[in-house]
Amino acid sequence: MPVAKPVITHAFGDYVVATAVNGRLFAVALGDGTVRLIDSETLDATPVTVAAHKGAALCLAADIDKGAFLSGGDDGRLIKIAALGTTEVLAEIKGRWIDHVTAHAGSGVRAYASAKDVYILGKKGGEARKVSHATSIGGLAINPKGKRLAATHYNGVSLWWLASQDGAPTVLEWKGSHLQVTWSPDGDYVMTAMQKNALHGWRLSDGEHMRMSGYDSKICSMAFTRRGHFLATGGSDHVICWPFSGGGPMGKPPVEFGGAGGAPATAVAANPHHDIFAAGFDNGALMIGQPGAGTNLIMKANGNSVTSISWNPDGDRLIAGTENGDVHIVDFRP
Amino acid sequence: MSEPKPIPVTVLTGYLGAGKTTLLNRVLTENHGKKYAVIVNEFGEIGIDNDLVVGADEEVFEMNNGCICCTVRGDLIRIIGSLLKRREKFDAILVETTGLADPAPVAQTFFTDDDIKRRTKLDSIVTVVDAKHIEQRLEDSDEAEEQIAFADIVLLNKTDLVTPEALKKIEARVRTLNPFAQIHHTSRCAIDLDKILDKGAFDLARALELDPCFLHGHAHDPNHNHDHDHDHHHGHDHHHDHAAPSAIHDENIRSISLTTSKPVNSTKFDTWINDVLMSEGQNILRTKGILNMAGNDERFVFQAVHMVSEGAFTGAWPAKDKRRSRLVFIGRNLDEAGLTEGFNACAA
Repeated sequence: MPVAKPVITHAFGDYVVATAVNGRLFAVALGDGTVRLIDSETLDATPVTVAAHKGAALCLAADIDKGAFLSGGDDGRLIKIAALGTTEVLAEIKGRWIDHVTAHAGSGVRAYASAKDVYILGKKGGEARKVSHATSIGGLAINPKGKRLAATHYNGVSLWWLASQDGAPTVLEWKGSHLQVTWSPDGDYVMTAMQKNALHGWRLSDGEHMRMSGYDSKICSMAFTRRGHFLATGGSDHVICWPFSGGGPMGKPPVEFGGAGGAPATAVAANPHHDIFAAGFDNGALMIGQPGAGTNLIMKANGNSVTSISWNPDGDRLIAGTENGDVHIVDFRP
Repeated sequence: MSEPKPIPVTVLTGYLGAGKTTLLNRVLTENHGKKYAVIVNEFGEIGIDNDLVVGADEEVFEMNNGCICCTVRGDLIRIIGSLLKRREKFDAILVETTGLADPAPVAQTFFTDDDIKRRTKLDSIVTVVDAKHIEQRLEDSDEAEEQIAFADIVLLNKTDLVTPEALKKIEARVRTLNPFAQIHHTSRCAIDLDKILDKGAFDLARALELDPCFLHGHAHDPNHNHDHDHDHHHGHDHHHDHAAPSAIHDENIRSISLTTSKPVNSTKFDTWINDVLMSEGQNILRTKGILNMAGNDERFVFQAVHMVSEGAFTGAWPAKDKRRSRLVFIGRNLDEAGLTEGFNACAA
């Protein structure tokens, strides 16, 4: 388990909505509508403050362009933030919020959601393709190959082909309200966190369903390890990791790690190079750990619930944001 | 380290044209020293450019298959979740519902979703009633009836358009649907906003503050108009009063009020009320009660929206108050004899 240098903490003073990473830059979207950029090479430099939104920022993702980010806000705007902190309004929907955003560098696709509508911006630019759903979108994710977009809603997930301009989605149905969504690295599993403290999943190759329940609270974060051996999930007092190697998790018990005095895990992030996760808890504890193995506590409980964690591409630095606006940067380089 | 203070949420209901928008505009423009985030269903109706006004979609979700008691508003969970990320910038939330909305999923949202339950608290359900048209609305729609039945506070609006006699009759009608709501008379929704906002109607400890006369029957009824009410006496200490059900159709909402001066056994009450709400929760819209539990010197306050209930001991009985218990059910197809018998059997 890597050992961390002393943690650098920035006190940004407002709710950390999301963190993201693109190349050497970390980005933090805040409840005051700003996005802060932090250079992961020169960690002690002053972060750049970008005034992105009039109200609160609601979502953040790495853009398709190197070092750039996309943020959506309750001012109805989708903003592109370039590496130097300059902004460009990519879309504006009056009187609506942009709740979710995602992008896939390889295929050059950006997608964002507002209430029931998802907008897909292709590589060539121009008018976004708008696809509608019967109910509001709970989460968006593009598959690892950059070909399909999963959009969750009430009673299931719609899978849209990104290359085609028309056509109906493949709808994976399961009763209830589906929120965050993620794809396994091989693209065969689509996993959703549900409104009622449970996880649901589909194996696309044979249509098999997976139901994982028993969580203490809503699962607000989940992540697959780089090769998809484990899916780590928050929502319980330990990080619950489902084994996906060798035929999927059906009928297998989960493996746990971590724990912070009973507080639920609120944010998990998979390391891009090793089968380890970073996990943050509702009481502010921050740790790295391996499914079924030991953990390394980085930050003790301090009351400031962790909302989002991101690793840099080299997997030797991470950023963690909290509800009160403290952002911790952890450096594992020798 | 400590959890931030929960943000009060006021739910505003009322039939189309009753005056909800007028009230919303007042909340948004008047200098009452508080900043409201307002969730509206028709974005265009609010004539104010305010980045804390957001449009909702009225998406009613079932948490469990087919049970109306487990329905919540998915769009509210999403919107309030996002609003809370900027919580330093507003003091309270106001949720407007459409004229045709059932208020139950809105109320249940605040008791069902963990994150929302932790950071907000349902303050009260305010229903705006158009005094001129309410009688007709009650004849031709279930929603108008439900909205009054669910209310903690009723604004009897447009009172300038009806005669005092008609108003008296309307108020009595409202009272038969809902014996515990506070009723205010207004025209053009002109009311001191303190009377409707931040009232703590769902706060068990404050429920009595709101309605100090709850134990004595028809609280806040300036006219004490009992034209449509009658009391039954059952020989011993129990009595209940209720409204005569209207003969128009069987599905009419009515209320049943049960009282006793005998101490209540808390275990028996717990078992009985859970049973009642589990089996009849679809028909029972709201329940409120103050109970004198045997062996406990504090008042026990109980309330429920359909099956979602909560109860707690909330402090000592005031010296001047006679210790007695009252339980009010508002709903459809209520089995009065069964409820009375069940409640009586809870005596210690």
